[in-house]
Parts: sequence; C-alpha cells; structure tokens
Amino acid sequence: MAVEEPRVARPIPVPDDLSRPYWEAAARHELVLPRCAQCGALVLPPVVPCPGCGHGDPAYDFVAVSGRGHVQSWTRLRQAFLPGFEADLPFLLVDVQLDDAPGVRMIGRLLDGPDAPLRIGAAVSVGFEDIAPKVAVPAFRLART
Amino acid sequence: VSGRIPANRRAAIVGFAHSRIQRRADQTLGEITLATVRDAVADAGLELSRVDGFVSATMLPAGGGHAIEDGTSIVTPRWLAEQLGVTPRYVAGYEGGGQLVGSVALAVEALDAGAADYVVLHRALHNPPGRYHGNPMTEVGGLPQWTAPQGYFSPMPMIGLTYNEYAQRYGAPREALAAVVVEARKNGSRLPWSYWYGKPLTRAEYLDAPLVADPICRLDCDIPVDGVAAFVLTRADRAQDLPHPPVYVAGHATAIPRVHRLPLHRPLDDVMAGGFDLVRLLWERSGVVRSDIDLPQAYDGFSPLVLLWLEVLGLCPVGEAHRVVLEGGIDSDRAGAIPVLSGGGALGSGRMHGVPQMLECYLQLSRRAGERQRRANAGVACHGFPHSGGAVVYSVEPT
Repeated sequence: MAVEEPRVARPIPVPDDLSRPYWEAAARHELVLPRCAQCGALVLPPVVPCPGCGHGDPAYDFVAVSGRGHVQSWTRLRQAFLPGFEADLPFLLVDVQLDDAPGVRMIGRLLDGPDAPLRIGAAVSVGFEDIAPKVAVPAFRLART
Repeated sequence: VSGRIPANRRAAIVGFAHSRIQRRADQTLGEITLATVRDAVADAGLELSRVDGFVSATMLPAGGGHAIEDGTSIVTPRWLAEQLGVTPRYVAGYEGGGQLVGSVALAVEALDAGAADYVVLHRALHNPPGRYHGNPMTEVGGLPQWTAPQGYFSPMPMIGLTYNEYAQRYGAPREALAAVVVEARKNGSRLPWSYWYGKPLTRAEYLDAPLVADPICRLDCDIPVDGVAAFVLTRADRAQDLPHPPVYVAGHATAIPRVHRLPLHRPLDDVMAGGFDLVRLLWERSGVVRSDIDLPQAYDGFSPLVLLWLEVLGLCPVGEAHRVVLEGGIDSDRAGAIPVLSGGGALGSGRMHGVPQMLECYLQLSRRAGERQRRANAGVACHGFPHSGGAVVYSVEPT
C-alpha cells in the first residue's frame, strides 16, 4: 500500500554508521537497539565511546526487542516546533521505559489520539509511522488490557 | 581534597553593571556589552587598563538554527578584549550546562593562580530575529535524529516531560507553577532594568494562558531578550581597597549528567539524583552547611526548576515543594518564607541565564539592594537543571 504523503514533510532521519541498522529495521516495522559488543549494554542513542563501559570501539550490533514498555511521563504538545506536525496537533509524546532493555527510555508519539487515557506505568507497545517511502519512525500505542 | 582556596586568596565580586533588558534592542549586542563592561569597571573603582582577565560563556540557547556571529548574536571574551583595545593576560570561555557557574569557576581559578588580577565576567544574551526554537529542518542527522523525527524538539516538551513526571508522582496542580511565576514577576516588576519592570502577573492571568506542552504554558518559560550583565572580580587581598563591600565566592560546583539519555531527555530521577550529588559537593567545597544559607536563589529558566531546586537544596522534603509554594512559602515579602526568587529570576527579568540569581546574591550581600535590601550573609546562586547545571555559594566573609 502506498504511503500517503503528508502536505508538509516531517524531518527525515539521515542514517549514519551508528544508526543505519536501526532505521533499516524501523522501515520493516521492527524495533532493534544498539548493543555494545564489549560490555553487552543496550545503549540509546549509540555513541562512541560506549557510555556503559567506556570502550572506544563499541562495535554496536543491533538486537531485536519486544517494543513493550511502561509510560514514565508524557506531555501533550499543542505547538509544532518542526515542519510536518501542524496537522497532527495536539498530540501526545510519551517517555517509555522499555521492558526488555533495562535503563533504556525512548520518547515517541502515542498513536491513540490526544485524549488517550494515560497514567504513570501505563503499558504500551511500539508502533510505527510511515513518514516517507521506506522511512518509518517508532511510536507507541497503549497496550490492550 | 577539599578544593578550597585560602581565605586571603578567595575571589570576590567588587563591581557590576547591568544593561536594560529589552525584547529587541536597537543597539547591537556588542555595543551594549562594551557599554556595560565599561560601567562595571567604573563601578568597581578601576581604570580599564587594570583589567587583565576576561571570561564568559557565550551559548545562545535558541534551537532555530540561527547564524552565530561574534559581536551580534553572541559576545566572546576575546571579541570584548579586542574591542576594548586592551591586552589581557587571561582570556577564557566556558561551554556547557551551568554557563554562568562555569564562568565564575574560570575567574576564581585564574585569580587564585595569579593568571589575572582583575577579571571581567560578562554574559550577553540575544533574542535573534525569526522563531526562537521553531526549526524548518527537512532532514535530521546526528543525535537529534533519535528524537526530532518523533516531533520531540525544543525545550517546551523537554520540560513538559520532566515536570509531568513530578506532577503525576506527587499530585502537583497547575496552581503550583502559577505561584512560582507570579512570585518571580512580582519581584521582577520592582527591578528597573527588568523587561517586566512595572508588569506583575496575576494568578488568573497565568491560569488563562494556553498550554503549549501540557502542563507547561509559555509563561513557565523565561522570555528571550537582549541584555548584558558584567561583574568585576579580584582577589580578597585586593578587594579591600575598592569602593564597595566585596562579595566572596565561597565555593562552586558544576554537575555532569551521569546517565546517558536521548537528546533533551531529562528524567526526574536523573535530575534529582544528580542535584543531590551537586549540592553535597557544593557544601563541602564552600565550607558551609545548608542552615548557613539565608539567600538561596533558585534557577527558574523554566518554572518547574524552582520546585526541583527547593528540594535538592534541602529547603523542603522531596515531593513537597509544590505544597510549599502554594502556601506562600517562597513569598519574599513574608517573614520566614524562603526567598528563592527575591531577585526576580529569569521569569521576572528575561532570559539572562543565571544572571538574576548571581546579581541578587551580589546586590544583597554587598548591601547595594536599596529598598529591596534584606538581611543576608550567605547566598547560593543556582543555574540550569540540578543534574546538569551548577551553583555558586557567595558570602559576606572570605571564610
């Protein structure tokens, strides 16, 4: 199915050596996280040296995670600071602790609408927004209970 | 190692000047800085030729991708020395969180090392044309690629996430932030140099303001301005001969975030843990205990930070600051209250990045606060987030 072009494009991530596998997986609607080959820590965002062990060659590999997590905080954004979000206002951004990546928190849009019922600890799972051909951005949905 | 400097070698502030704070000045930032620095040197009772050190932090905290031009959008200490036509022995700049604290540290260490005898510390803030944080980017690389494609950009959702975590955890209502902003604007309205001079804010006006990133509204953020402050520092043994009572730097500390996070992500637990570490270090280095401090000045670039500083400074229990402010506990006109915004802060002055807190410590402790004069002997000027900014302890005595 063709991706519906938004009227104004959202910023497109520019993959680099540290991020390419992440964005390639996201395009397939899979969430992977960088893992330091030296200490095994999951690191987001991936940087050199590894924030976990300090090694100058983390040689990150990318491991699949479930994408399930719990909301630590959220905010409802009513003003866009970047192009391409105007039509979606207001929208919720959630701060999520991933269940199978200790200490790793992700921030993404919540795709359940601006008035979705939220509380600290609400269960969510990853979803993806297709924002351009072969470009998808991780987001979250409330888990069905 | 305590890191403490002997009393007779302590750095002291011996003079200052502050420009008018304007939304958009009709002079360039460089012109305002030159005039303000000349005024500060004169205020300290010195000739310009005696000044041999220049320090600053120059960061323009806008996210709109503005061009940076020395003398126009920022003013570096080097530009300043060149324009003043002096040949300094020491020129240095600080980059990173807690800009003003980093600058004070440079001045203090330069004076102690004998690298300079009279140091001008300035901070020049510019409000660039166009949108301050709005950015027209169509693609995004580097670290922002991890958050901007999701729409997470600019400090508004940043402080929204940090504060909503606090508000949800402790049940803080929006009225708590109203109390903070109203207090800052009340005090700022009494400062002739403030952008908000003569313009206090009511609680109702605050509560009527539309939200931008719930529960944050525009009034929770300091307003971008053109403004310059300059301070003159010298060593304790030289400070005695100058016209104004010296205010001594008792100690300083800068916080480095411990936990690796996404850009602009400042989880509440990171902020508090780092803040407690910072404050412990600050008391150690300053040789003071919390009960010695009678002039705490909380950083308020975003109103929620006042609550977090109240808690990490140990001025109230964790999770209680929202109740303290709601009950009038920071009303600087009330006896027994904690006057954390007596200097108007940034919310009551304009986006001067830690200057209002430092200036209030200087004015009160040098007994130069005029009608606003309080009884105070030791102050702490906070800057930034508690886990990534810093703080300086000032005192009327060099010990």
